[in-house]
Amino acid sequence: MATPSHGVSRIGLVVLGIVLVAGISVTRGYNTLVQLDQQVQSQWGQVQNVYQRRLDLVPNLVETVKGAAAFEKGTFTAVAEARAKVGQVSAWMPSGPAKDSVQFGRFQQAQDGLSSALSRLMVVVERYPELKATENFRDLQAQLEGTENRIAVERMRFNEAAQSFNATRDSFPTNVVAGMFGDRFREKPYFTAQPAAQAAPKVKF
Amino acid sequence: MKRVCRPLLAAGIVALLFAAVRTAPAAPFPVPPAPTAWVTDTAGFLSEAARVTQDKRLEAFEHASGHQVLVWVGQTTGDTPTEEWTVRAFQAWRIGRKGIDDGLVLFILAGDRKARIEVGYGLEERVPDAAASRILNEVVIPRIKAGDRDGAVTSGVDQLIAAIGGQSAPTVEPSFPALGLPQWIFIGAVGLVVIVLMVRYPPLASFVLNLLASAFFSNMGSGKNGGGRGGFGGGQGGRSGGGGATGRW
Repeated sequence: MATPSHGVSRIGLVVLGIVLVAGISVTRGYNTLVQLDQQVQSQWGQVQNVYQRRLDLVPNLVETVKGAAAFEKGTFTAVAEARAKVGQVSAWMPSGPAKDSVQFGRFQQAQDGLSSALSRLMVVVERYPELKATENFRDLQAQLEGTENRIAVERMRFNEAAQSFNATRDSFPTNVVAGMFGDRFREKPYFTAQPAAQAAPKVKF
Repeated sequence: MKRVCRPLLAAGIVALLFAAVRTAPAAPFPVPPAPTAWVTDTAGFLSEAARVTQDKRLEAFEHASGHQVLVWVGQTTGDTPTEEWTVRAFQAWRIGRKGIDDGLVLFILAGDRKARIEVGYGLEERVPDAAASRILNEVVIPRIKAGDRDGAVTSGVDQLIAAIGGQSAPTVEPSFPALGLPQWIFIGAVGLVVIVLMVRYPPLASFVLNLLASAFFSNMGSGKNGGGRGGFGGGQGGRSGGGGATGRW
């Protein structure tokens, strides 16, 4: 009984070993991807929180500025339009960032649009020193600055989380696992630097 | 033709150079090692007496309330924006308790003539941006401008402690992750192996147990070193999300 089955059991063992190793590495790859994906999702939640925080701040800010600078109509319209656009993109981007990178791009574009509309509003305010002197406006300004800073921080952390997901996703052997699950582990998009930060310096001769 | 081309070429090269500089991520200004006291002055900004007094005060405050409040005086953050640098420093130093994030740092950058209050996630309710901004612009900076640096930090700390309040935030018990069936099977298998080893090779079994214990406890050790009496215990794993305010003078 021992002699004939000896060779077979040896091959069987080797096959079993290979299957085991493959199974373990697929499981580990899958679990790693799930964990990193969760981190990206929770960071995405943070990004949405801080954007929502800014959105909530806008009406109050606009009302306060309007009181002192009612005739700056164009600026208020620009803010209102930018805010409406953000409302549109936020409505169909509630859950995941990576469902569609085109939508992600639109989301970012709309949010950056609101950023620049708000910063133009703050520039306009420079012409109204009596408004800048009021306590109410100063508090709102501090809140807006704090919120813009939070946005920058959470965006940066989102990019870090997305980068660590993408790096794992694209390296061996997790790329094979990611391929097996198709859309489940799609590559995560990144936030790009805001236009203001990217503007090239002017060179004069 | 040539004369027209030259300046254009030069402009092109300069533009390319700028583009290269822009695309290469500028090396961020390094974050110094974590402070070893509640009040750190690397710029000779404060008198030693004031520094020690505030340090003792914040030490007592942390022992009483659990909230870690620090003052850090430096010279500059280089080309890195203040807010970007302070949030990285906060993260690297792990100010505040893990999971509660109840840390706060008053940064003063003497060379940059800037001050910033960086608020941990857990204290954002107690020190909202508007309050942080008022403390800086109505209390700290006017005194710095008037030349009263010790007074600026002292009254800044007064205001921060008043805003945060003494009551302690609830402590978070370290929780163990829920184990699924595969994990239990794995633990069972390891346990079986250890038992078999104990019977047959006791020295090897004790070695394996040591290994497991060290792997397990190294995971738990971090974040438990703060709050010791007689000395700064270091950061405890807190984080901030860019809340707070910045002021200039």
